[in-house]
Amino acid sequence: MSFPSSFALVGNPNCGKSTLFNRLTGLTQKTSNLPGTTVEAMQGEIRINQGIVTLMDLPGIYSLYTKSEDEGLVVKHLIRTDENKPEAIIFVMDASNLRRNLLLFSQVAELQIPCACVLTMTDTAVRRGIDIDLLALQAALGVPCIAFNPRKEKNTSSVLALFKITAKPNIIGSPSQLPQRLKEYQQGAKIQGLSEETLRRYISIEEVIKKCTTKRPVGLRSLTLKIDRWTTHKWAGYFIFAGIMMVLFQGVFSLAKLPMDAIEIAFQSIRNTIETLLPKGLVSNFIVQGLIGGMEGVVVFVPQIFILFFLIGILEDSGYMVRASFITDRIMRKLGLNGRSIIPLVGGFACAIPSIMATRSIKSKRERLATMIVIPLMSCSARLPVYVLLVSVAIPFTQFWGPLHAQTFVITSAYMAGIVVAIILAFIFRLFQRKQSPSEFILELPTYQIPRIQTVLHQAWLKCLSFLSEAGKVIIVISMILWFLSNFGPSEAMKTAETEAHILSQLDPSHSEDIKTTLRLEASYAGHLGKCIEPAIEPLGYDWKTGIALITSFAAREVFVGTMATLFQSSEDNTQGIIEKMQAVKNPKTGKPLYGLPYALSLIVFYAFALQCMSTMAVMKRETGSWTWPIALFLIYGVIAYIGAYVVYHIAI
Amino acid sequence: MEATADLLKQGQKATIAGLKDGNFSQKLAEMGCVPGTEIVRLYQSSGGNTIAYRIDTYLLGLRREEANQIEVTLLELDPA
Repeated sequence: MSFPSSFALVGNPNCGKSTLFNRLTGLTQKTSNLPGTTVEAMQGEIRINQGIVTLMDLPGIYSLYTKSEDEGLVVKHLIRTDENKPEAIIFVMDASNLRRNLLLFSQVAELQIPCACVLTMTDTAVRRGIDIDLLALQAALGVPCIAFNPRKEKNTSSVLALFKITAKPNIIGSPSQLPQRLKEYQQGAKIQGLSEETLRRYISIEEVIKKCTTKRPVGLRSLTLKIDRWTTHKWAGYFIFAGIMMVLFQGVFSLAKLPMDAIEIAFQSIRNTIETLLPKGLVSNFIVQGLIGGMEGVVVFVPQIFILFFLIGILEDSGYMVRASFITDRIMRKLGLNGRSIIPLVGGFACAIPSIMATRSIKSKRERLATMIVIPLMSCSARLPVYVLLVSVAIPFTQFWGPLHAQTFVITSAYMAGIVVAIILAFIFRLFQRKQSPSEFILELPTYQIPRIQTVLHQAWLKCLSFLSEAGKVIIVISMILWFLSNFGPSEAMKTAETEAHILSQLDPSHSEDIKTTLRLEASYAGHLGKCIEPAIEPLGYDWKTGIALITSFAAREVFVGTMATLFQSSEDNTQGIIEKMQAVKNPKTGKPLYGLPYALSLIVFYAFALQCMSTMAVMKRETGSWTWPIALFLIYGVIAYIGAYVVYHIAI
Repeated sequence: MEATADLLKQGQKATIAGLKDGNFSQKLAEMGCVPGTEIVRLYQSSGGNTIAYRIDTYLLGLRREEANQIEVTLLELDPA
């Protein structure tokens, strides 16, 4: 017997769709884009009888008529006619909220794609006094229906059986030419009588509900309301939000430390092994410094990114983030943003790239653009290692104010500076937008739930993998180019450097290796490049080595640390080694440490503001449809960074 | 008695009578704000910019001006 081979999971947000998806597909799932679009959807495989079918978990939607971009793409995927179209639909329905879920079903039914229905949360429905007659529902909808609670039930055989018996659904009420109207709607036409159509659907749905449910009166006691009393309290709500954010970042810093140290130690031993195995020379140097050094620069961030995505995932999955939107909407609106902006903005502290994509849930174009504009000012996890390196070099690890450490204070200030500038910029952007564009905040506040640790872990891991492959490619290529540039140079200059090094090392044999490295570097292409931009960055307190690191980190900020490591390369090439070497460098003019407090503060400010991330610019181009905004922001943030760094340097010196 | 949802007091129960014609009517209808449904005002964020309602069985967060689009018939004053 044959049955469809590609299925889509369709349903309202928060209906248990993704939990069901995880139960069904387990570890076969991977993120992929909906064909021809940039909307991410999870895809997995299921073995049924002898065949394998693919199942795609489409993002949850409330209606096929939608204005938001990502939901619109989901709808496009459902109504497409090419070979990528889903052959059948598994419709997931929240039994405790049947009426609204049936609205989407009644629309999907008109597409006449074979379908089957899974009712989730039947236990909640029973608790709310709703009993559902599955057979009556099946008869009304014309498709097979089963009850299944993916959170509690592990045996999925009843769901799998559905895949073989999907059927064309009944039209609920009278048909509304939905496919035709949907096409016009998607082309931007204003459809007359859309809310009347919705109300008509509800009248027909009411008949279905009457036929297949019975209601018992029950008292409503809700834990969610008790929690909400605090999380949305007029002032306690903000304290709780601030507290959660503090715990979040503290968690990222402290939890990531151990695995990061472990990664550094592991790479160190790999390097040592290769150095002993391969003959000393250019090849060994290339592998150790260029290739492995570059890989380490990528891998070392994985713990931070993983933990940040995991913790944010926990907050979202529990239902808390929606409450954060609810209480911050008032402030956000004043800035021309939306309560919904809070989720991408918090995500911006992890990584701007997924956060810019997450702004798609903001319906108003203007609010969405404003959110995208300020996201890069949230200090992302890639800036953290830069801050940490600079702080370790120039700022003593002493008590600063009460229990606060000077180093922590500086890093926290860098984060705050980004937020303050973001607020100012959002406000300025709002002033330029005279015209009122429609803005809405209609948001379901889902029942709190215990976060599904396994799911969130898995998704955080998938995001890390995509970071490793996307950012990793860039960083490894840059590291290799940099290795080449710093090991080769104009032959004349290189020859002079060799001779000089030879003479100098005879005078001071104990430091001969270091002297040779420094002179060679200065004579290399990288050295020339750094010297070339030195006049432009000297007012900020940077030398030519920093110049090289600035240039290379235009690809991605974290490259700064790797570049400094390469430039200060030594036999013991680990972070501790770089810090000590940087601390030893003196300014030839003043005799003070070159990489002192003013230098570090100035550079931290520069990194806090400058848009040094090719991937962010690329994703912004994709989301806004042109290079205008990425380039404009690159320039604006560049100017702010330069001025900020200049001011800070001259105050600190 | 006729009113709009933003005028409900905390804990007050009403029945949705209809939606004003406007930008939000379609979205509100999709979210289940349909005539005949029970609506209860629950809590609000500071300043009352956003208000949480229970519509039928689930919670919905709305801005005040969006709640103003929902016409309601008052039922009773909840003693709690």
